[in-house]
Amino acid sequence: MRNIFRIMIIGLFGIGTASGQITKVDQEVYGMDCAPCAYGLERGLKKMDGLQEVRVSLNDGKAYMGLAAENGLKLRSIQEEVKKNGFSAKKAEVTLIGNATKEDGQWYIETANERFSVSQDTPKALLQKLTVGTATISGTVQDEEDDNLSGQWSIVLTKIE
Amino acid sequence: MISKIFPKISLNIGYFKLIVLLAISGTAMAQGHGPLYGLQTPTLAKGGVDLNVAGMSLGTETETSYMLRYLFSYGITEDLQINLTTPTMIERLGDAPRTRGNSNMTANGDIEASLWYRFFSNAFGVGKRFESTAIVGVSAPTDDVRGQVNVGNSVHAAISTGYASRTWYGWIGGGYQYYFEKDGEQLGDLPYASAVVGYRPNIFMGDYPKPDWRIFIESLAEFPGDNKFEGQMDFTDSRSTKVLVGPSFLGLYGAWGISFGAMFPVVQDLTLGAVKERYRLAINLSYWL
Repeated sequence: MRNIFRIMIIGLFGIGTASGQITKVDQEVYGMDCAPCAYGLERGLKKMDGLQEVRVSLNDGKAYMGLAAENGLKLRSIQEEVKKNGFSAKKAEVTLIGNATKEDGQWYIETANERFSVSQDTPKALLQKLTVGTATISGTVQDEEDDNLSGQWSIVLTKIE
Repeated sequence: MISKIFPKISLNIGYFKLIVLLAISGTAMAQGHGPLYGLQTPTLAKGGVDLNVAGMSLGTETETSYMLRYLFSYGITEDLQINLTTPTMIERLGDAPRTRGNSNMTANGDIEASLWYRFFSNAFGVGKRFESTAIVGVSAPTDDVRGQVNVGNSVHAAISTGYASRTWYGWIGGGYQYYFEKDGEQLGDLPYASAVVGYRPNIFMGDYPKPDWRIFIESLAEFPGDNKFEGQMDFTDSRSTKVLVGPSFLGLYGAWGISFGAMFPVVQDLTLGAVKERYRLAINLSYWL
């Protein structure tokens, strides 16, 4: 009985803490054409808690971000910052540590505050490597409407570590 | 002259304090920057602040004006921006032509507040976007008489649409300024149109944070109406036609921007009493907070 109680406490504690996080984001940005645009976006992103390094490239149309070892940053917050600067956030290449689950044949990777639905476009060889539990994965998050970000994403996996 | 300048300087010190206060309290982001004279579309980021100081000169056949102008812009949202601009007149024209200085600064000694609304925006590629912006503004003069006519308050409205990319830029637009009657006299109204083409050569295609330069060819078509004088027996309601063309250059580095350019009249079909222009010069320094 005591062991069951311990397991319940550990389980509840586990749910209450961060079960995963994004560690790297290369965010595609459309519509950014000038140096002050890049400067403003870079400065806005640097103000976000959890971002360790930020570099914005006008020619690539991308914001390259390395996240702190402990962060609660959402991809949604990053894309909202892009929109706030007057641009459009498109696809994002991310690396994240998350909890992999399978429901009705569909794989999901969950961080502490967002859910990534694994796309059927993911190569089958990679899907076969996926197992339930903690996983470190990289992939391309598909573009969502800037005005309707829900924190639920579709991701095409490119790597499972 | 000195007594005329000093009250304006003290006003601008107060304005400067307001800018600093707002700038410190606001978050700061940047947004694109366009031509010097023509109508444009970019608006600031939400919470973004842009400070500008411009030197402007306008030469007529007999006189030359010199003016410093300050512009404060704030992004309420990424599509809605407020602007406030005030002048320090160094040398006024006794007989001033009816014109605007550029899309958010007036050429003559008016204090102007304006609202820009970017009602359409489509970012469809890396560095590429189509967008359209509407402008409404109100202004109050700092001089009582301009070109021997009493100066009233005025309203201004304009609309522009354009394309921006890493290489090519283009904007077209049109606007209208209307001066209210004051003591039986009225400055003529001003319908106008503008077209701008911009190009960034490959040599300036270096990635951020390297300096970023671009070149514009700007053109303005203005159709100023005749002034209305007190006691005028017969108001003809005729209009002049002016077309001006010229180059401008924009350099951007980090949070700083500098632009300078000139416009020269290529068509001046003027009504009786309208002032013939020789050139317009402007230089503008921007800082995004």
